[in-house]
Amino acid sequence: MPDCVIQTRELSREYQLGSEHIHALRDVSFAIRRNEYVVIMGPSGSGKSTLLNVIGCLDSPTGGEYWLNGQEVSRMGDLALARVRNREIGFVFQTFNLLPRATALHNVELPLVYGGHSARERRLRATEALARVGLADRMDHRPNELSGGQRQRVAIARALVSRPSILLADEPTGNLDSATSQEIMQVFHRLHADGQTIVLVTHELDIAAHAQRVVTLRDGRIASDERTRSAA
Amino acid sequence: MPFFEAWRLAFRVILSNKLRSFFTLLGIIVSVGFLVAVVAIIQGMNAYVKENIAGAVIGTNAFQVRRTPITIGLLDDEQVRIIQRRPRITRRDAAAVGRALPEARAVALQSGWPTPSSDVRYRNQRVGDVLVFGVTPPYQTVQDYRFTAGTPLTDPDIRERRYVCALGFEVADKLFGNPALAIGRKIRVAGREFTVKGVIAQKGRVLGQSFDGFVLLPLSTFESIYGRRKTTVISVKMNHAEAVAPGMSRAEEAMRLAHRLRPGEENDFTVDKADALVEFWRNLTRVLFTVIPAVVAIGIVVGGIVIMNIMLMSVNERTREIGIRKSLGATRADIRRQFLVEAITLSTLGGALGVAAGWILANIVSYVSPLPARITLWSVAVALTLGAGTGILFGVYPATRAARLDPITALRRE
Ligand SMILES: Nc1ncnc2c1ncn2[C@@H]1O[C@H](COP(=O)(O)OP(=O)(O)O)[C@@H](O)[C@H]1O
Ligand SMILES: [Mg+2]
Repeated sequence: MPDCVIQTRELSREYQLGSEHIHALRDVSFAIRRNEYVVIMGPSGSGKSTLLNVIGCLDSPTGGEYWLNGQEVSRMGDLALARVRNREIGFVFQTFNLLPRATALHNVELPLVYGGHSARERRLRATEALARVGLADRMDHRPNELSGGQRQRVAIARALVSRPSILLADEPTGNLDSATSQEIMQVFHRLHADGQTIVLVTHELDIAAHAQRVVTLRDGRIASDERTRSAA
Repeated sequence: MPFFEAWRLAFRVILSNKLRSFFTLLGIIVSVGFLVAVVAIIQGMNAYVKENIAGAVIGTNAFQVRRTPITIGLLDDEQVRIIQRRPRITRRDAAAVGRALPEARAVALQSGWPTPSSDVRYRNQRVGDVLVFGVTPPYQTVQDYRFTAGTPLTDPDIRERRYVCALGFEVADKLFGNPALAIGRKIRVAGREFTVKGVIAQKGRVLGQSFDGFVLLPLSTFESIYGRRKTTVISVKMNHAEAVAPGMSRAEEAMRLAHRLRPGEENDFTVDKADALVEFWRNLTRVLFTVIPAVVAIGIVVGGIVIMNIMLMSVNERTREIGIRKSLGATRADIRRQFLVEAITLSTLGGALGVAAGWILANIVSYVSPLPARITLWSVAVALTLGAGTGILFGVYPATRAARLDPITALRRE
């Protein structure tokens, strides 16, 4: 398939809880192309987070294949996975997951620290990323000095700073009020307009309405995969 | 993550929990401080014993022929019983040693242990607890005494059993204020009247003990007061250090002849030099040096286990942080390095604080007590190495546990 960022084949993830097998993902096969804006929907427990975690290399599939930029991630070792997380993936969590003691700037610099960039370059790129999400004037604030919306912007800046090939967001507005959610969604739209490939998990219909493509999961399976409107 | 970043991060974490870090390190601080302080005191005393006591008690380039060894404290009961049957050291022995060693600078006979002490009075002035030595004139040469006033004791003083004396500086100073004023005055020692012939220049203090609070009497006069004692000692001073060892063996031969010992029969006397005292001290410190490492080792292990526990606790508390870092691309090595560097920084800091504590302790001890202290570089090096080593040893396990955490599991932890 041309220009695919992500490709999965019969991807599955099982959990063993005591004697019980939980199939969080069953034979998920799909592909995401460059600059696509994909929303994943589905009822609670349908496997949305599991799918996103596997795509984000935070979790490993128990079966199937996962290819990212032509590399088979499902066969990678620990070190290679760390490298993929660092360079190819930007992850935005529902709970922000910022380091509480570090300033916004330092939080955003963190992926570049692990990427081995110089202090000068780190500062430059982190400042630029914070400016992109409209937080140029809050760089020295710690998370507890920022509002929920601002924290999520810091988290988005952190996800962007290493210029990943794909931006993943798991219910990024789940902890925010509706006005702030609108602002955050605006940030994602702008990033998409700038060419960023985005996969976003949500269960809010109005958010899904903005996407080009909606994948719906049910019981760990893809129930539907629809393009809502043609690419802009 | 580069090493410098890990190190900076470690410092931030440690400083943000100052009190906890301090208590974590208490074991290391105490052990290392103890090590540094005790080693400093032993080293200080070593230097003192070598430089001062040995010279002050026996004299430089000197040895003694004694009935009992200097280091009698190290002998067992059986050896002590044999030594107690030995004959006294006599004037004849001294003369025999003198004939065998014509090149010796001085051969003296002196009253031995325990040295009696007495009040010394001049009119209504009194100095208490003055040590009274009975000596032959060469003793003054053996001890390198210089006279600030008057003249030394002489052979006629001994022969005629004169009631004359030489005063240690401190005694003359206390009685007369000025040593020159003492010469020719009549003072009372042990209830008898003595004429002061000379005052000996100051020798100073060793271990807080003055070496100037004594009075020298002619040996013959001394014996008529205190009786002939079993502990009389021959002191021999050679011209240079290399002459001491051959001098000792010639003195030994002369003594064996004088005591008519058959070949194979054991010596019924001891030839000792100042080194015997140093040796005695060395044996004592050897014992200390085997006990200290054991005590320090226990302290370090306990301190290390505390550090390990705190690090495990810290890894547990910071599981989410580890998850975040891993989600951003931290490798196992990055996380392991972060926690290992933290443990090493922490424990090295403990080592450094321990060195500081030990230094302060050693100085306090040498300030309030006569024990001198000398901080040696090697003990500081050992202390810091111990600190860092403890961090590595006890930090590896927590760091490895942190590194092994699965990103998503770590992130899910509350
Ligand atoms: N660590 C886990 N251990 C056991 N079961 C899990 C674990 N994580 C998720 N699951 C199960 O997998 C299924 C999918 O979960 P998830 O992907 O979180 O769903 P969603 O994000 O769509 O709500 C659920 O049934 C959930 O209980
Ligand atoms: Mg979820």
